[in-house]
Amino acid sequence: MKITVQSKSGETAFQCAEDETILHAGLRQGLRLPYECATGTCGTCRARVMSGEVEVRWTEAPGGARLKPEKGDVLMCQTWARSDCVLRVPSEIDVSPNLCPAPRRGVIRGIRSLTHDVTHFDVHLSEPISFEAGQFVVIEARDVRGGRAYSMVNFENATDKIELVLKRKPGGGFSKWLIGERENVEVDVFGPLGRAVFRPHEAKNIVCIAGGSGIAGIMSILAHAVSLDYFGEHKGSVFFGVRTLADTFYLEPLSRYVDASRGNLDVTVALSDEAAASATHKDYPRLKLAGGFVHEVATAAMNGRYDNAIAFVAGPPPMVDATIRGLIVSGMATKDIRYDKFA
Amino acid sequence: MTWKRICAAEDVAENSVKKFDVDGILILLANYGSGYRAIPPVCPHMEEPLEESGVIVNCVLTCTKHLWSWDLATLEMKGETEKQLKTYEVKQENGAVFANIEEELTYEFDSEDVEDDDDFFK
Repeated sequence: MKITVQSKSGETAFQCAEDETILHAGLRQGLRLPYECATGTCGTCRARVMSGEVEVRWTEAPGGARLKPEKGDVLMCQTWARSDCVLRVPSEIDVSPNLCPAPRRGVIRGIRSLTHDVTHFDVHLSEPISFEAGQFVVIEARDVRGGRAYSMVNFENATDKIELVLKRKPGGGFSKWLIGERENVEVDVFGPLGRAVFRPHEAKNIVCIAGGSGIAGIMSILAHAVSLDYFGEHKGSVFFGVRTLADTFYLEPLSRYVDASRGNLDVTVALSDEAAASATHKDYPRLKLAGGFVHEVATAAMNGRYDNAIAFVAGPPPMVDATIRGLIVSGMATKDIRYDKFA
Repeated sequence: MTWKRICAAEDVAENSVKKFDVDGILILLANYGSGYRAIPPVCPHMEEPLEESGVIVNCVLTCTKHLWSWDLATLEMKGETEKQLKTYEVKQENGAVFANIEEELTYEFDSEDVEDDDDFFK
């Protein structure tokens, strides 16, 4: 099917297969259609169908709450084309200078619990993937409806294995599904996606503020940075917020990254639901401990020292909102704040 | 022209926003230090409630949801912002802030105007 998109940038067209969403079709062909979560929660990819037949796969998607279906409004991430279509998109659309996302097949392996509600898993891919540190993929299982977004933990070029982390939620369909005997089960993978990426050539100091499983993309950024000895020249400050010490994970690699960074990388674990018993972690003395919400700990520790710095923010939406507010109030420019919101 | 009293000048602290119901019309009053702006209470981007998501620093109002921002003195759009703020005229008299409210200002996503689809781009 041919999809014609009218936007503030003019008119453009691309092909869309029967089994892919309009968003995925446009993105994989290099168009920068607007999106954030790509999974129906944010509402950023809204469009108005002017002509043609479409099928909406998830009609109750929370991101569609403010759409006007009677006018033909849809979320492109939840819409299949059933004929040639003309769509209007209320933003500017240019051609992506970055890696285009693509569909791949994957096999789940290496499922292991990191804490009582956080699980690590690997996906082995049918074709290698290259991505920028901080990006995510959408994973879809055959027998669970809808895609879920996960940030890559690892960083390698043209890798055929991505490492992901999942926060188990009560009633979470995919997390419940994954905890069963899912080793070697096949999934669909679409990516890489997301704009909150680390670009070493920008030569900035980096401030990373993560809540819970939001640390995933930060781990990829740190892996990339450490592999380049980036912290030989630049400063890094990482704030990892969890409820209690028992909720921490990835402390071993974090400690290793600090060790490799000659004093230029600081990692602070912020505990929201218990006091910090000591200034540093008893098993990982290179990691600092602090009590309080991670956005408060981070903005107090940085105290406005954002010279030549980029901030990466990842975590549950309320934590991301509070952190962005804290960063702006304490003097960071909005153009230097990067985040992708999906939950 | 209908000037309506919104609140006492000190009711909205410097660099903060507050929502008021002025005869059934919800208005967000922003105090940016050197002046006030009276605007609709939602972000023109995706209808986020600016009372919660709005933050003012150095005269610039930012919606923390997607970082759209505007200079409140000049109304200039900052960064990747794609829509202008709509504003009610304001004045201060006898320690109170007044807004000139002819009719409620809304953005396109509020419009029930079905026949004109060109509004989609505005």
